[in-house]
Amino acid sequence: MRDRAVHLLSRLSFGPSEAEVERVLARGEDDWLEEQLAPGEEADPRMKDALTNFQTLDMSTPRLYAWITEDYEGRRENELSAEERRKVQEKRRVPKGELIRATFLRSIFSSRQVESVLADFWRNHFNVSFTKGGAADFLITEYDREVVRRHALGSFPEMLMASAKHPAMLHYLDNHLSRTPPSKQELAEIERRERRRTDSREAGEQAAQIAAQRGLNENYARELLELHTLGVDNVYKQKDVIAVAEALTGWTFDGGREGTWNFRFRSEMHVKGDKRVLGRKIREDRDNGGVGEGEAIVEMLAEHKGTAEFIAMKLVRFLVSDQPPSSLVKDVASVYRKTDGSIPDMVRTVVKSEEFWAADTVRAKFRTPLEFLCAALRATDAEVREVNRCLAALRDMGQPILHCDDPTGYYDVAEAWLDPGVMATRWGFALDLATGKVKGVEIPVEFFDELPQDIPRLWQHHLTKRLLPGGAGQRTRNALSTVTDEYLEKARIPDSRELGPQLVGLLLGSPEFQQQ
Amino acid sequence: MTTPNRRDFLKAAAAAGLITTANPFERALLAMGRKPKGPQSIVCIYLRGGADWLNMIVPRDDKDYLTVRPTLAMTDEDGLVQLDRDWGLHPAFRSLEPFWKEKQLAPIVAVGSPHTTRSHFDAQDFMEFAAPGNRTVRSGWLNRYLEESQDEDATEFRAMAMQELLPRSLRGEFPVLAVPSGMDRKKGAQTLNRFEEFYGDGPVAGEMPGQMPGEMERPEEGAGIVESGRVTIETLRRYQDILAKGKTEVKYPNGRFAQRLAAMAKVLKAGEGLEVAGLDYGGWDDHANQGGVEGRHATRLKDLSDSLAAFCLDLGPQLDTTTIIVMTEFGRTVRENGNRGTDHGHGGGMFVLGGGVKGGKVYGDWQGLKDAQLYQGRDLQVTTDFRDVFHTVLDGTFDFKAPKGFFPDYKSKKISGMY
Repeated sequence: MRDRAVHLLSRLSFGPSEAEVERVLARGEDDWLEEQLAPGEEADPRMKDALTNFQTLDMSTPRLYAWITEDYEGRRENELSAEERRKVQEKRRVPKGELIRATFLRSIFSSRQVESVLADFWRNHFNVSFTKGGAADFLITEYDREVVRRHALGSFPEMLMASAKHPAMLHYLDNHLSRTPPSKQELAEIERRERRRTDSREAGEQAAQIAAQRGLNENYARELLELHTLGVDNVYKQKDVIAVAEALTGWTFDGGREGTWNFRFRSEMHVKGDKRVLGRKIREDRDNGGVGEGEAIVEMLAEHKGTAEFIAMKLVRFLVSDQPPSSLVKDVASVYRKTDGSIPDMVRTVVKSEEFWAADTVRAKFRTPLEFLCAALRATDAEVREVNRCLAALRDMGQPILHCDDPTGYYDVAEAWLDPGVMATRWGFALDLATGKVKGVEIPVEFFDELPQDIPRLWQHHLTKRLLPGGAGQRTRNALSTVTDEYLEKARIPDSRELGPQLVGLLLGSPEFQQQ
Repeated sequence: MTTPNRRDFLKAAAAAGLITTANPFERALLAMGRKPKGPQSIVCIYLRGGADWLNMIVPRDDKDYLTVRPTLAMTDEDGLVQLDRDWGLHPAFRSLEPFWKEKQLAPIVAVGSPHTTRSHFDAQDFMEFAAPGNRTVRSGWLNRYLEESQDEDATEFRAMAMQELLPRSLRGEFPVLAVPSGMDRKKGAQTLNRFEEFYGDGPVAGEMPGQMPGEMERPEEGAGIVESGRVTIETLRRYQDILAKGKTEVKYPNGRFAQRLAAMAKVLKAGEGLEVAGLDYGGWDDHANQGGVEGRHATRLKDLSDSLAAFCLDLGPQLDTTTIIVMTEFGRTVRENGNRGTDHGHGGGMFVLGGGVKGGKVYGDWQGLKDAQLYQGRDLQVTTDFRDVFHTVLDGTFDFKAPKGFFPDYKSKKISGMY
């Protein structure tokens, strides 16, 4: 039973901790899973503590925008002194820093582990990134809360629509800029305005010329098809990308100083006329100026068989194996179609499947850097007061939180993370963590005091059981014995607070600990 | 290469502020006294995101170009680096001009993939695995070269990527080091020692202590992890040694890309067997506000150019045996889009630099920018398959004749006159 609990937690949490294993055993696998799949509205008490001093996590975007600029209200940025401008810049970085830290803390400490794990999955599936800069600095806070986390255990079609309409996504993939080329009247208006402003005929003409070039931007439309729904080159062609892009013109947001920072459809940017997507006619939406076309397409994509298959494949790959068994993918895809994309139903189907529990599934997944770091902190019951050093380690391992430039999000397969060289960063972190050299992070002394003080030769076994509940291979056992022998030769009175950390560092860096 | 040429060239480089030694002739003498060490090598620079080559290798005096790019186009008056009658480089490439004049820089136009995908991720896979449209090939073309040319008892440190994760072109059976960042040398060495027994070559089986009755015996699994760890220890030690002994002889720009090139130059100059090195440069997906002579694209180009120029000067004579290839997954739309940017397109460009390539000439067939000349009416036609370049460079650099199947579904074709 314990083995099963460990396997379950290896995939549906950020790594088994002793306490969580006990909880699964006490509740039973089924009840534990059901509780986790429907965690309710109540805030997680442990997270509430950990996030006490965070200011911006619950703010809406307009509130956040106002908060950043409140100190110089009424004045434009170019009217500020250098000192004031520096302060604004500093404040602007706060939401980003808080969200990243909160995301990391939730992964380690949240009692809603399934929600956290699934949020990580969807965060990558519907990737947006702080590397985009500009408005991303204050748009992602709400996006992560209202799109990713709100729907992580909800309905896929709803999450899809929410992401499609959120300013963070529209901004990240440039859809807010995509538009129909301006009409003659608009161009004339632009020319007139610019001529009046500059008192130069030439400048007016030039402005109109530039404006005439504005038009369609395919970026979001392509990723919507390729990454969010159907999967690459599945069914759709370049002409579908263009048709989707045209239907989504006008999908933008209300920004600026007075803006609501909500989704806003601007019919003057919209490409008129019927569209044809995946062989289906999308009738021009005359009643609402065109917004209905995009909505119809997003709904059509959510209902598409190809989407069900693609989402099922990714979910199975994430939870089961880098080579997702096709039988299970099929089952999960059919659950998607029967339940209108219910995420809990899909997760349940995975966990209850034979494939999930098959012998060759156990420990078959390589831990991504984030999973490795969280698992190490959870397995050692580490107290975390400050996370900066951990975040830096994630950067060194190539997976800084919410900084994935590519719209693919971070990959979850071993192939992407198993390069020689990367291991060295993990080892360095493992040794630092175990020996108390990660600033702000500490393994409690009880962890070592609980070892049977009179039989030092047993320490490695106790710690192995704790950190590698799936057991250790011969090579690892040999290496631990060598370290124990060397220590016992030198030490007059063996001290578990000395040898313990050495063993823990090695265990966390062992090949076995890199798997889940 | 003849001596007077090199001297002129160093003078030009010194004038561009790239050499730190006060007296350029001193520098020139220094460089002349040195000889390339170690084997021939390829340095593969990948511009992630689909770089806009049409604004990097620019058709001069092309009316169509000015029409399709009303806000992004640039002309001689904007300071194009003039190559020949037809072509100029973006003004931000000024620091590479000496290498063109020295006939070491070979730009290629209208090069790309025979596959039509406009997905970054497919296009990168197809290109770096050198197998367009083929999703079963999962090893990089450079890794396949290493694998094919492997000498049974060679112990050299043959390949590395100067970044945390390997580019796909270096993924595969042959173990390649991805250099971790954020690890100082002394501590790094200690860490490697600690984990040697876990991942090292030591014996695995045997009657060793350590097993408790009832303790779960675990079969050796995760062989890939152990192998990865073993290679980490072996190659990282070597790398750290080289870095400690090496010297940087010119001033590089401050950015991360340049700093990584500086470390790479040390390894190449050490002549310890490095044949293949990879480095990515990200952020080229300019859908909006790309800019022309100035702007985001130009800023990146300048950093790229100045970094590469510093790298080449730092290599000195070693540049004669080092081939640098600069590539990206696809070109961008010929017409700029509505946001002063460009969308995913088809044909693009490449640079091949150093290593005895016959530069000073623009390679590739140019079809033109009129609607009828474009691919699907919107993108550059691909007239040179990127595999032709890989094939030519592998042969030209290593004298390596790609065996059948090395490039799947490909009819071998070389770029004439390049070597």
